[in-house]
Amino acid sequence: MTDTPARPRLRPLLTATAVTLTMLLAGAAACGPDKDPSPRTVDELFKQTSVYGKPKIKIGVAEDQPLMGKLIDGRFEGFDIEIARYLAESLGFQGDSRIDFVPLQTEDRENALLSGKVNLVVASYSMTPEREKEIDFVGPYFVTKQELLIRVADRGTIRDLSDLAQPGRETCVVGGSTGEREFTGRGLKVYPAATNRVCLERLLAGKSHAFSTDETILAGYLSEHPKDLHVVDVPIGANERLGVGVSKQDPALRDLVAFFLRKSFDTGQRTDTSPWLAAYRRTLGPWLGEDVMQPPIDAPDLVDYDEKAPRP
Amino acid sequence: MTAAPPPGPARKRSPWRAGQGFWTVAVGVPAIFSVMRLWIEAGGELQTTLLLVANVGPVNLLAALFTTATRLVTTGLVAVFALGAVLAVSTAGSPRRPPLFARWFALAPAWFLGSVFVIALATWQIIYLPLLAVAAVAVFQRELSALGWPRPRWAVTVAVLAAGYGWLVAPTVREGWATGELFAVALLVVPPVLAPGVTGPLPGRLVRPLAALAQPGIAIVLLAAAVPVVMTPVLPMTVTTVRTAAGVPEEVRGHVISTDDVSTVILQERGGVRYVDNDDIEARVLCPTEEELVRYRLRVRDFHVEDSLLGALGRRVRPFTPVSAVCRIPA
Repeated sequence: MTDTPARPRLRPLLTATAVTLTMLLAGAAACGPDKDPSPRTVDELFKQTSVYGKPKIKIGVAEDQPLMGKLIDGRFEGFDIEIARYLAESLGFQGDSRIDFVPLQTEDRENALLSGKVNLVVASYSMTPEREKEIDFVGPYFVTKQELLIRVADRGTIRDLSDLAQPGRETCVVGGSTGEREFTGRGLKVYPAATNRVCLERLLAGKSHAFSTDETILAGYLSEHPKDLHVVDVPIGANERLGVGVSKQDPALRDLVAFFLRKSFDTGQRTDTSPWLAAYRRTLGPWLGEDVMQPPIDAPDLVDYDEKAPRP
Repeated sequence: MTAAPPPGPARKRSPWRAGQGFWTVAVGVPAIFSVMRLWIEAGGELQTTLLLVANVGPVNLLAALFTTATRLVTTGLVAVFALGAVLAVSTAGSPRRPPLFARWFALAPAWFLGSVFVIALATWQIIYLPLLAVAAVAVFQRELSALGWPRPRWAVTVAVLAAGYGWLVAPTVREGWATGELFAVALLVVPPVLAPGVTGPLPGRLVRPLAALAQPGIAIVLLAAAVPVVMTPVLPMTVTTVRTAAGVPEEVRGHVISTDDVSTVILQERGGVRYVDNDDIEARVLCPTEEELVRYRLRVRDFHVEDSLLGALGRRVRPFTPVSAVCRIPA
């Protein structure tokens, strides 16, 4: 490298500038920039939840919804239960000994959250604007639709909702459910029962002519009485979006639940297997078909320990 | 091809005394560090320190120290030699005695310098590697100069290197800019721009003040950086699930010191040693600590910027380490 006459004077200045800037940059790097990552961490958020440090997490579930949430021989089983177990495990409550499953009636779900009786509700909980005024929903983790369950013997006479408008025919719905409003709004006679099981018994006993609720719940009862019952695929209202209920007092728990549901969704998209898909295939899949996927869900961007893992 | 004689003083072979000093430091500093770490690990308790000393083997201790302290040691050496090289070039031909770092640089054999840079390349976080490039240019400037390349050849080489580097980091820089991570962007962009400028002598008036400031400066920075290294645990963090009479199992978070036929000794994270009956242990999982959480969310070609090249390659072998949810349970 040959030097020009101006070079000897400029070169030391350039070197001095470069060395000084490098030292400043290295010094700043050594002192460390702001240590807090710009997105919050899962652990940081977990510490803000109401369940942090508690021996158990209390999750409100249905106890009499086959395939969704049902108590069988002292153990809860169903799709909602599997989702609840996944969420509990993700939050550090591994195993049923750390989960307090609290059976809830349909109309008790909001109260249970508001009173702190439960931390989460995973019980075929439809996301509605009225409910969202009182509690927060995370979801949907499942999209279902309302359908009709009838006796096999009535297959020829009840084909759609207009057949239920005939005098003397009543439809059983659970009081306070979203399904009830769909029927009363159309002027159809309804029997508001306390539980889904009461509706099922009325239908089997011939007291009600139809029983209407979410397809997921009806699939459960159909799985119990495949020879006696039949599901009528009629459009009733809009799709039901099932969400996880969380108290408005616990936004950190809400964000974490969303984060873990989103994680399951992302895993399912990449690998065709995820906690959600495993839960679905073990429970609802054989009755509703295998081609159902977890709906996408908005979730906060959080940093966890697997951040450095290679992206698939 | 005849190469022009390199500027600055010729690198001397290490004399015996310098070698002696080096090995004293190389063995003594890790030994002292290790004892300090055990002391801190034990929470300052004498009996716990003695228990740890009795159970943690010196080889394990040194291996753990090497794993966690390599970055610190190589950072110190790279900083000293880079400044030493700049000072050596700047004071070449001066009748006065060269500054301390310049003398150390002159004593360091080429194989040692090369090894330090190779280890730093493998173990430094990717985001700091551009700074290593600047240091490498400073340290090896005499070797580069000795190549005797004509200016056009240098221009082409620098242009090719810049284009390659630009291709490598452009997506990361764009993402960093978009997400407001300006310091990360500066760490990726500024050093390569400065690298060609660090060769050559400093203005004469600056040499002595820089030497006087650099030596205590680097010592202070290294001391500050050593604190987290001394506080890094020697034993891996685990959560042990212990059966209790109440039915709900208890999670004991801490470091397993030893296990025998009867009990397992756990140094709890919050302090204190606990002897747990082996029959009561239901499970044990390995847990990460908060220090392992990342600061940036940037990647250079799918390598996370806070990973070392060694770590990133390791993740290609074991792509995913599941973290047990039990690790989130507070102690």
